[in-house]
Amino acid sequence: MLDFAIYCLTIVAVWSVLGLSLNIQFGLTGLVNFGQILPFGLGAYAAALAAQAGMPWPAGAALGLAFAVVVSLLVLLPARRLSQDYWALITLGAGELFRLTALNAPALGGADGLTVPRFADPHLALACALALMAAAWFMAHRIARSPFGRMLKVLREDEVLAATLGRNPVTYQRTVSIIGWAMAAAAGVLYAHIVGYVSPSSFTVTETFIVWTALILGGPGSTLGVVIGAAAVQLLSVSSRFVAGWIDLPADVLANGRLALFGLVLVLMFLFRPQGLIPETKEVRDAERH
Amino acid sequence: MLSVTDVSLSFGGFQALRAVSLEAAPASITGIIGPNGSGKSTLLNIVAGVYVPDAGAVTLNGRPLAYGRPELVAAAGIGRTFQVPRLAHRLTVFQNMMAGERDQAGEGVFNLFLRPAAVASREAEIATRAEAMLKRLGLAHKANDYAGSLSGGQQKLLTMGMLLMSDPAVLLLDEPAAGVNPVLIEQQAALLHELKAEGRIVLLIEHNMEMIANVCDRVFVLDAGELIASGTPAEIRANERVVRSYLGMPA
Repeated sequence: MLDFAIYCLTIVAVWSVLGLSLNIQFGLTGLVNFGQILPFGLGAYAAALAAQAGMPWPAGAALGLAFAVVVSLLVLLPARRLSQDYWALITLGAGELFRLTALNAPALGGADGLTVPRFADPHLALACALALMAAAWFMAHRIARSPFGRMLKVLREDEVLAATLGRNPVTYQRTVSIIGWAMAAAAGVLYAHIVGYVSPSSFTVTETFIVWTALILGGPGSTLGVVIGAAAVQLLSVSSRFVAGWIDLPADVLANGRLALFGLVLVLMFLFRPQGLIPETKEVRDAERH
Repeated sequence: MLSVTDVSLSFGGFQALRAVSLEAAPASITGIIGPNGSGKSTLLNIVAGVYVPDAGAVTLNGRPLAYGRPELVAAAGIGRTFQVPRLAHRLTVFQNMMAGERDQAGEGVFNLFLRPAAVASREAEIATRAEAMLKRLGLAHKANDYAGSLSGGQQKLLTMGMLLMSDPAVLLLDEPAAGVNPVLIEQQAALLHELKAEGRIVLLIEHNMEMIANVCDRVFVLDAGELIASGTPAEIRANERVVRSYLGMPA
């Protein structure tokens, strides 16, 4: 049971990093990324490929981050000339393109995927995941409370306003994408070493949608909210296995029921609490203090 | 000196501006008036770098401005407001004001993590100026309110304050008095006189003729994309063609 708790915590930490990486893009900047699973998958596959080539894990990690940064810039190339609505389509398409490539390329293991050396000690895996989460939290928090984050929020509210204030929106969007994608890639590298196996079925649109559920549930723009959202969604996910034990449901019905539940959560949140469980904090200036 | 020389622009078959020229000098307020659809906002959008003119030139102190790149025009010291004020509604009034300043060390990611002290000191400097600007505009008591919760007139004042944070040489104002209560209009007029005294170039689109007469040194009149008259407010009021096409007969 303790092992299971450690595993749960590890997974929650990994998905929190994914949630945070989406939050700085959508929550702060308003970029609708429907392919956030892509950098996560790039990180995981980079870790697997490096391991297959006999390289140590830091090489895989470096490769994963580099892939994510390069691909984020490539995906941004068409996006910068288009309005925000198209970001969703382009990122969604890019994610699927990657998954289908991995599915059909023998070098990437096809549908069978690739094996990755696992953490020998689950405690070490947990420690690494928590360390990564702490680093991502620190970065996200620092950005959200900085002049950079302030301008990202201005962009989120009104791109034309940002340009009127002398800022080039594309520059800011590019920086945010690079940071967000690198963060997700780091989570992907870690994830590969935790589960010991990567395959295209782990990087579907559904996974992106699960990150979105965590974000919308927790509160877009709120660092703490996103982590709590990720924890809620992942714990709900793993605990549904026990439900299967109590009531005799086939696994596929259960899996679909879980997704339907997430869908319901999204609809309810949009209807009744669009700001999330823990809304973005209002930055109040205390005039007395200054 | 802000110079617009023989600027033309058409949208499809519609000629929005036809060889329009005007000049606006430092320490002066220049009005642009004309009926709806006469091309006033189009002209402002060309100067602000939103539209690319088909022909003609826009220069500030002899230097051509970047067409179609509003962020470069803004960085060259030209601030503009919109008829419907543009603000970050879910940021506080104070945060909006802070965002108005340019050259912020804290907007560079490397500075954030590697030079936190430099970021903090620049931030404190900007905060002091933002506070002073809010006081000047009479919005200090609203500092911690969401910008979206301000009245229309207060929002227009705030957008002017945001622009002033970066000390622009030129201000392009698109109908600042429209939909604003008389007390705030008076406050705006006083602010415009101050901006003029500070040596700035102010270009003002306005339908409120009282405001135009009250603040403008020179007025240009557009009709159907063409410049039909220019002169002091008094000369414009006496111009028969302007009265016929825009102002209407006195009752």
